[in-house]
Formats: sequence, structure tokens, C-alpha cells
Amino acid sequence: MIRLIALIAFLSPVAFAQEQLTDWLSDYREALKVAKQTSKPILLEFRCEA
Amino acid sequence: MEGREFDAQVVLSPKDSPLGQVLDRYVCVRVVRMDDVNIGLFDRDWNNAIYFFVLNADEQIYMRYGGRESESPDTYNSLDSLRIALEQGLALHQKYLGGSLPTEPRPKPRFPREMPLLVARTFAQNQCVECHLIGDFQNIQRDRDGVLDKLTHLYRSPDIKTIGIFLDVPKGLVVKQTTGAVAAAGLKPGDRITSWNGVPVWTFGDVQYRYDKVDRHAKSIKIGIDRGGHATELTVELPPRWWWTDLRFRQSSVEPRTDFEDRPLTADQKQRLGLKTDGFASEVKYIPQMTKVRGTHDLRVGDVVAAVNGVESDALANTADLYLKLYLKAGESAKLDVIRAGKRITLPIHTYSLSFRK
Repeated sequence: MIRLIALIAFLSPVAFAQEQLTDWLSDYREALKVAKQTSKPILLEFRCEA
Repeated sequence: MEGREFDAQVVLSPKDSPLGQVLDRYVCVRVVRMDDVNIGLFDRDWNNAIYFFVLNADEQIYMRYGGRESESPDTYNSLDSLRIALEQGLALHQKYLGGSLPTEPRPKPRFPREMPLLVARTFAQNQCVECHLIGDFQNIQRDRDGVLDKLTHLYRSPDIKTIGIFLDVPKGLVVKQTTGAVAAAGLKPGDRITSWNGVPVWTFGDVQYRYDKVDRHAKSIKIGIDRGGHATELTVELPPRWWWTDLRFRQSSVEPRTDFEDRPLTADQKQRLGLKTDGFASEVKYIPQMTKVRGTHDLRVGDVVAAVNGVESDALANTADLYLKLYLKAGESAKLDVIRAGKRITLPIHTYSLSFRK
């Protein structure tokens, strides 16, 4: 049953939509490495959620 | 919460949206804890709950995006202007990859863990280093060390509207309307701002950051513009108190809290009361309910504060409240000369500092 629910959720339009969202990292050091490897610039967002 | 909606709109941008297509050409990273952030490199006005930097893998900053005014945290946030900025960022990045982008000296690295007050009152208690705390503790430390320059450190991020610039926000730095000092200097609707005191700017965040760096005693600034494809530079004569902003949205805790709001009297009103026309006499307009409990003062709405400690005029202040904020330390007391119902009386005021939870 759980597998069925997971499958339905995975195949739902919402799941498809979520896969099309922009990719965001959460580790600044990793972003520097990826930017080096890909020659892309970095967009760094500081978000204070408190 | 400040910036919540804009944050969600940016982070949840579909890849096939106009913004998403530009974001896809970037490495996007979202940092929500300030603990290990190089606050020397990523210096900014810390009373912004959302703020962006565009940079390269060598940590060369191309531009900033963000910034707020006193009235609202979201006035200058727009998906369209962010997309325009990011497209300009891609062009700058191409220059960098081609070796033709000039570099600036790198600021000295600095980290929150090097701030003694932040360590003692936030890290030690395992609490989150919120953005505003960095600015708050910087100012508290400056105050303790005797190096607090109130005009610069308290009145951060001067408001461009004060000199008459109203932006067409979705279009980035395109001017929508002009008044006052910039109109007198020749700035016109449709102009695009390209530099601020000689430094290239791409976004409102850049403008606000560069404006904040202007010496508070400066008499003029230079604004570079693009008008229909032609570049020119205007000299703007700065009006008195161009640096003033409403501090109420800040939690900076170092300015003396006075528990009243006032408005300057006109020259005619001052003359009728027999006061100096160049003085800072002001009428009390608002008093918070807790004032009596705190014992700050016995002022009433409608009172005119004519002098503070016998001083009636000042080169900087145009109201009694501003005079108190500029020249008293939080916790100090003063003597107010007050005109109430035509009679002169003297009242004490006991200022205090805001105590906040961290």
C-alpha cells in the first residue's frame, strides 16, 4: 500500500512540476566548487528566516 | 515575515519561466545561517532579511540585489528586475572569463565568530545568528569602543527618495519620476542610472550600498546615467539630512529611545512662538502607551519642544527627537524646554536603550 501511494505521488503532476524547479544548493563551499567546474557564475542568496 | 513571498517566488521558479531560464545558467545557493559567512566580503546593511550577491568562483562580486526602505522590506524586490540583473551578471561573467573584467581589492575576511558580543550572547547560547544581530552587535561594540559614528552607522542606507529618485522597479535602475535635488540636477524619467560616485551600479542593491559609502558630510554626489544610449554624469547637490532614515524598523538598540515622535515647526510657527527660526523646535505628535510605565518623560501630544539642555539649534538636527538621538547616549537624561498651552515649562527626559531578546 505504501509503495502504491509513493508511486502515485511520484507520478502525479505535482511531482512532475517539482522536478522542473530551479536547482538550489545550500552549501556555499560546494557552490564555489561547482562554479569552478562548470565556469558558471554564482547567485548567492542570504535568507534570514528567524 | 520580511521577504517571504519574494524568497519563495525566486527559489521555486520553474525552470521554463523567464527567471528560471536565467537562473539555470547560474550556480544557485541559498544560505540561511550566518555563522560561518565571511561578513567582510559580504558586507551589507544587516537589516535586510533577504539579500543576493552575484559573484564568480574566485569570490569576485559582480553585483548585489536587495535592499529595502524604511516603509517596506519589499519595495525594491521584483522578479523582473532580478532577471534583468542576472542577465547583466552573465555579461559581466563573460568579461571575467575573457580576462577583461577589472578587479577590486578584496576586503579583509571577517567572521561572526570573531565578534566577542555575538560569541557571548548568541553562539554560547546555541542561538541562530540572525542577520540583524550582526549589525546590532557591530554597533553595540562600536558604541562601547567609542567609535560609533551615528550618521554613518545608525543611519545606514540613505533613502534615494529623499533626493527625489523614484525607480521604475521592474525595470531595474530606470527612473520613473524625479523631484527635488536630482530633478534640479537634470535627472529625468526614462534615464537609467549606471554609476554612483564613479562606481558602476547594476541594481538598486548596488546603488544603496554605494550611497551608504558616501561621507555623511558630503555636499554633492555624481550620478552616471544612460539617456537614450548616450552616457552622461550629473552632479547632485545634496540637501540637508540627505542621510536621514526612519530607524523604527531597525532593532539596533544603540540609539537613545525617546518615546516620542515629533515634526519640525515651520519658520512661521517658530516666529509666532518667539523661537529662533533656524532652531530645531518641534511639535510632539505621538507618544507610545508604555511611556508612563517606563518613566521616560511627561510630554503630551501638542507640546512644543523648544530646546534640549538649553540648546535650541544645531547644524544637523531639525527636530528635538533627532537632536536627542544624535547627541545623547542611550540611558542618558536631558532637560527639555517645552511650550505647553502658551506657557514655558521644563521637563526631564530619561532615554533608554532597547533591550532585545538576544
